[in-house]
Amino acid sequence: MPKKKFPQVETAEQIEWAPKTEVKEQVADLRSVLDKVKTREGVIGYILRASTSAAVDIKDPSKIIDYAVLSASALESAESLSEAFELGRLSNIVVETKDLKILLLTIGEHRISVFMEKNVDHYSIYKELR
Amino acid sequence: MNEEIYAIALKNALGEIKNVCPGIKKAFILMDDGTIVAGDEQAVDPSVERAVNSLQSLAEKAVSVDGLNDLLIDGDKGKVYVSQVNGMYAVMSLSKSADLPFLRTVTGITLPTILKVLNNLSPETALPTPLKSAPIVPHIQFRPAPSVPSVKEEEVEETVEKPEETEEIEAPEPLEAREAETEAETEAEAEAEVAVESPEPAIDLPSRQFIVDKFGGFMVRADTVQLDSEILERWSSLLNVKEIREVDIETFIGKTTRCKAKVISDQKLEGRGLIRIPEKTCEALELKRGELVRVKPVMPEE
Repeated sequence: MPKKKFPQVETAEQIEWAPKTEVKEQVADLRSVLDKVKTREGVIGYILRASTSAAVDIKDPSKIIDYAVLSASALESAESLSEAFELGRLSNIVVETKDLKILLLTIGEHRISVFMEKNVDHYSIYKELR
Repeated sequence: MNEEIYAIALKNALGEIKNVCPGIKKAFILMDDGTIVAGDEQAVDPSVERAVNSLQSLAEKAVSVDGLNDLLIDGDKGKVYVSQVNGMYAVMSLSKSADLPFLRTVTGITLPTILKVLNNLSPETALPTPLKSAPIVPHIQFRPAPSVPSVKEEEVEETVEKPEETEEIEAPEPLEAREAETEAETEAEAEAEVAVESPEPAIDLPSRQFIVDKFGGFMVRADTVQLDSEILERWSSLLNVKEIREVDIETFIGKTTRCKAKVISDQKLEGRGLIRIPEKTCEALELKRGELVRVKPVMPEE
């Protein structure tokens, strides 16, 4: 009997504290990967959103609001379309405008938007972030 | 050609695309305002309608970055591909294994071709060419004025036709006083008469569609809109006036207003086919950023 109870208690303890560390590590990892991605030719910047915070690094600061609004709207639209067409869990979303390409993906609770020129290979960025 | 024929043609085109690309599960085409003009009957349900609304919102927001061209959503169980074609959006639900590059090619060729043919068959009701890659308003709203136009619509038409009316009324006078007129004036009048006698007066009317961009601030006057200097100059030379001081704005829900016209203050926004309208005026006209309006210059009173 005690053998059965002990692991349960231990598991509960882990659940309480483990995710916090994990999240911090994940954010640090994502930031470093995104910073690396940003050095690629044609990559304009990124937005990393969590539930209570966001990190933005866009080359042209005057575009930050436009890009933030666009990526949030694209995520919302993708979720609606995914629900409507039963796509299951979203892997990635790619939005293309005349000169701009945006790669959007969700990792854990983090929503990532990477902005790039149209000729950039978004799939390699996706693989790097995954 | 009416809307129904458009819908049938586009539906057939979608059917053919589905035959060529078996990975397509559902497909439809929607306008910027969310109207579905062609597609599977089973494709449209409440959840799709919600998705269409959010897609419409995305298209509006994408105007700030030259408009939405493509959207690809990759999920565990399939994909959704949205492609902008001549201002409309082809929305396709695809299986996971669908050949996307092939689909892009087929869609990119078939739908524009069909639309071009339809437009050539019926130029008077044709879908207007979108301004850059901005979303477009449905062709229903671009049709000629209804047989019983609203009072406001009539007012706009009258205002625009003022130059022609003036020429017609004044036509007998030059017969008496022609000797006193300069050659330049005679030429200008002859040009104006040609314009009046033209079989396509609507083309000669200096009206244009613009994408709405809102602006606000403490010092912004609600009665003044901003337009490209090039457009204002072109209109003033076309109407043979020194400058265009006022314009009539007509929304596609039929609301009209007259505003003072000034040149766009932000040079970055010039040449984009934008009309910058103060927020208060946008509210009064029920306009959102990214929507299209028809703008006509007002002939200044002497």
